Amino acid sequence: MTLLLGVLEEGLIYGVMALGVYITYKILDFPDLSVDSTFPMGAALTASALMSGIHPAATLLLSFGAGALAGCATGFIHVKLKVRDLLSGIIVMTGLYSLNLRFAGGRANVPVFTQDTIFENQFLADHIPQWLSSYTMALILFLIIAVCKVLLDLYLNTRSGYLLRAVGDNESLVTSLAKDKGMVKILGLAIANGFSALAGSIYCQHKGFFEISVGTGTIVIGLASVIIGIQLLCPENGTSFLNSLKLPQVRPTTAVIAGSVVYKACISLAISLGMEANDLKLITSILFLVILVVSTERRKKVKSHA
Amino acid sequence: MKKSFKALFLTTAVTASLLGGCSGSSSSPAPGDGASYTIGIGQFAAHGSLDNCREGFLLGLAEEGIVEGQNLTVLYENSQADGGIASQIITNFASQKVDLICGIATPMAQTAYGVGKRQDIPVIFTAVTDPVAAELANADGTPVGEITGTSDKLPVTQQLQMIRTMLPDAKTIGIIYTTSEVNSLSTIEEYKAASGDYGFEIVDIGISTTADVPLAADSLLEKVDCVTNLTDNTVVASLPVILDKAARKNIPVFGSEIEQVKIGCLAAMGLDYIDLGKQTGRMAAAVLKGEKKASEMNYEVIEEAAFYGNTKVAENLGITIPEELTSSAKELFTDIDQ
Repeated sequence: MTLLLGVLEEGLIYGVMALGVYITYKILDFPDLSVDSTFPMGAALTASALMSGIHPAATLLLSFGAGALAGCATGFIHVKLKVRDLLSGIIVMTGLYSLNLRFAGGRANVPVFTQDTIFENQFLADHIPQWLSSYTMALILFLIIAVCKVLLDLYLNTRSGYLLRAVGDNESLVTSLAKDKGMVKILGLAIANGFSALAGSIYCQHKGFFEISVGTGTIVIGLASVIIGIQLLCPENGTSFLNSLKLPQVRPTTAVIAGSVVYKACISLAISLGMEANDLKLITSILFLVILVVSTERRKKVKSHA
Repeated sequence: MKKSFKALFLTTAVTASLLGGCSGSSSSPAPGDGASYTIGIGQFAAHGSLDNCREGFLLGLAEEGIVEGQNLTVLYENSQADGGIASQIITNFASQKVDLICGIATPMAQTAYGVGKRQDIPVIFTAVTDPVAAELANADGTPVGEITGTSDKLPVTQQLQMIRTMLPDAKTIGIIYTTSEVNSLSTIEEYKAASGDYGFEIVDIGISTTADVPLAADSLLEKVDCVTNLTDNTVVASLPVILDKAARKNIPVFGSEIEQVKIGCLAAMGLDYIDLGKQTGRMAAAVLKGEKKASEMNYEVIEEAAFYGNTKVAENLGITIPEELTSSAKELFTDIDQ
């Protein structure tokens, strides 16, 4: 039970970040590496903010805002300064490493064990009954991610959301509508990195400390979650095994969150079967490859680009 | 529909087949009289000193009659410096209802504490340089919860004393450190505070990656009479570069532990990580046996630093290691290990 709860919690935290990667990778078709630095950025800002007495809930908004700014920077470098997409992400990622250390007050490790967090505070202590207390974290995470998902779904159905989707699929359509596709891209990157930093903020409060190394490999986890989730639950040819089980089709955002939980479950399974951390990256990459190879949609796309 | 089934199947098959070859065999203790225990040891990275800590930890437990394979089952995992993996490792320990978690190095100890306090599992840490700054202990050394352990704080004053004995005329000591390593920052502060008492001035230079080491070393060696090393991971990894540049300028480099002296530092007042582990193991034994709770024991530092010297390096530099140091040396090397 502890293990399942642990996997669920980890999966939900990274699921928030995966929502962001879903926007960049799946909707915009933009390989955005800046999430590797916006995730620890959220954690660093949260650690400092909690230390200086800012309300834990406010740190979530603060982190989202800061992440969005970083996303804008990536977008600006790509769209306005005409740097290639991958490189813009790398530039922001590298630069933010230094800034993150500054945000954390020049320290690479900031503990917040003694501070109030969204998971541990007086309000919860007063209102959560004892029998529920071991599920509190999972419930709060569930609540946060549900809000994120619903807001993202609503946004994607607005006029601006449609434009965002159009930029990934067919840039010239957006231009023909007399819209600036560059601005749309920047907006998408901003939202994506906002989610990534928000996940970092939650991570910091969940673990009780910030550590500069937490961002390493974030993008891999994000991509794995998106690919696993989408391929398993809502592949683009329209039918998944959910349909064959007569279950309703889920939205991609839900699929991505589920993908994140499945990914963390795979890692957890590997650890409990006695695998070493050294080998986990290999497992991840093979998981990746298998799912990508099986996906016909992706194969067609690569061919048409070749 | 077929596709996604196929994906699911292949994924499962590949993962399963990969896992098949790798699953470790855990030796379950033979049922005997008296209690038997299960502990989880989480180590943050693979690293000579940390491995020694773990080895010493098990020796310390054995001294107290808790022997792996007899009345002790050990679950051991290494996170290879990945914070996300570290937290999954600890959660995994917690789900197997271990009696105690041992966290080796600061991030692992913090992760263990975060999970342990929710699951009521006592945590013993080791190789945490500054438990107070990591919020694993209160400022007066008392535990913050069911957590205690040992610190691998460098014996700074003893090192300064030793350098003074070896180099009576030296005025400045240079230190290279990584700005993102918390342990280095707190040790530098300590050096600066104590250096005046021994008539030294500290010149420090910060780096951020391995690639910065050669430039930093060149610039530092222009300004100092000798160099001393911390346990800074990035700098230690590039130590040969620094040693080479210093040797050309005939500037002595002091180390902070045995391994550094072995590869060419002149001398060190260092910790024996096996001893540190043993001390930690004895504390863990007290908790497992129920003699004391973790929350009743203050964290400990190792009392005695030992002198390590390298006579070959001394000869190259034209320095003789004073008799008072060699006589108390724990180990003297006569060659440079390449």
